[in-house]
Amino acid sequence: MKHVASVAGRELRGLFVSPVAYVVLALFSVAAGIFFFASTALFSEWVMRLTSYQAFDELARWNLNDQLIGQFYSSMSVILMLATPALTMGLLASEKTNGTEELLLTSPLTIWEIVLGKFVAVAFFTAALVTIIGLFPALLFVYGDPELGKTLSGLLGLLLISWTYVSIGLFASSLTRSLVIAFLLTFVFLIVMLILPALGQLGGASGSAELLTWISADTHLTQLVGGLIDTADLAYFAVMIGSFLVLTKASVESARWR
Amino acid sequence: MIEARGLSKRYGDIVAVDDVSFAVGRGEVVGFLGPNGAGKTTIMRMLTGFLPPTDGSAKIAGHDIFEEPLAARRSVGYLPETPPLYPEMTVSAYVAYVARIKDVPRARRRAAVDRALERCGLGEVRGRVIGTLSKGFRQRVGLAQAIVHDPAVLILDEPTVGLDPLQIREIRGLIAELASPEQGDAQHTVILSTHILPEVEAICRRVILIHQGRKAIDAPLEELTRGGHSLDEVFARETTRDVAEASPAAAGNAPDAVMGSGEGPA
Repeated sequence: MKHVASVAGRELRGLFVSPVAYVVLALFSVAAGIFFFASTALFSEWVMRLTSYQAFDELARWNLNDQLIGQFYSSMSVILMLATPALTMGLLASEKTNGTEELLLTSPLTIWEIVLGKFVAVAFFTAALVTIIGLFPALLFVYGDPELGKTLSGLLGLLLISWTYVSIGLFASSLTRSLVIAFLLTFVFLIVMLILPALGQLGGASGSAELLTWISADTHLTQLVGGLIDTADLAYFAVMIGSFLVLTKASVESARWR
Repeated sequence: MIEARGLSKRYGDIVAVDDVSFAVGRGEVVGFLGPNGAGKTTIMRMLTGFLPPTDGSAKIAGHDIFEEPLAARRSVGYLPETPPLYPEMTVSAYVAYVARIKDVPRARRRAAVDRALERCGLGEVRGRVIGTLSKGFRQRVGLAQAIVHDPAVLILDEPTVGLDPLQIREIRGLIAELASPEQGDAQHTVILSTHILPEVEAICRRVILIHQGRKAIDAPLEELTRGGHSLDEVFARETTRDVAEASPAAAGNAPDAVMGSGEGPA
């Protein structure tokens, strides 16, 4: 496993040499700023309205975490979902188009080292994106008193969901040599995963609805954003990330036997 | 150094390589000769571990490609037909990366990179981004990548294709130097594929002719050209005979096409 760092290092450097990393970082920061501003403005408007209606019972249940930070986090999880395909599409597909696949597969590297190296590189990058998200709620600690635990468990949820997205994107990138196809595959897969719970509700049969809701990463993110760190949710993320990494390894391996 | 036993590669019904065996000793320079599509690249890809053979196996520097794949790959330097380059990296960063993934120990890495760059004449472009280099320089970066870990075996797939006559002479000189270095450096065993006949005459001492996935000839160069035969004649005779057997219609065209590419710059 000593080569994981070499592969990851090259990949990260590649991201920062090309404009991709800067474009994603810049657009992501702008989006985070806009969504944070919107969440804050909406929050204070509601507080003012509730006050003027004298709805004190309702107002007593309002807090910065559930009504502001949680909203902000779930908006940002969608932005993370949109950014992921751009970051992952080239991971393995461009090795094929560059011909560098031949270098990797004829070097004394195991396929796990290649797959994990690629994953770790983008996982680092999305960790940076999640850090950017974290800067905004940090501001609230200056002016108010949100719960630290809830704020952090939400960030943990965003980190885990971003890694789940990355492992899916990596798998898509292993299936094709075309960046466009890798992008679209990831994009469609993530969208479908997001709307699975809604699809389940249409079906009517309660068993399948439960399963579809469980498969959707969003369900488990909501738990963590709500401050509930449950082993079952952590296990969900571990299973998803692990399965897609195993699938990616199998896909890279099988390509040589065809 | 290299021992191939019954290597075969089939894609469904198509037989790309059929039962090819040969052995190459230390310091030998062997030319893989054959028309395009004969299976040269496939054999090389199997030796380097990129493609698993359907049948048969091979040993590189004593390591079986199935049983000790990592050790076998560590002993091979491979220059594929298209050099495997990352266009956004600088020359020295790229060669240093390859040194890392080829297990060059950290302490020797910098020296190994410098030596490879120097041998391939890349000193003045080491800081340049690969994407901005000319084709000749890229080919040399590809070669530097293949030799940076000082492998016992070098496998070069058409190392001079697309280069101008001067560059071709330089690359050939470098290959000859790698096979029998003057002093200090380890002796490399070299297999190179080409369809340029003068290239074989210039640097190889032994020829393996691959035709339609089979080994047609395996002999020292002097033996083939003994009695005044030119390599051109041997090549034409061998590649037409089998084509004629397989499909009479193709017999008239194949040798011409082959000879056409044989007129490459010497």
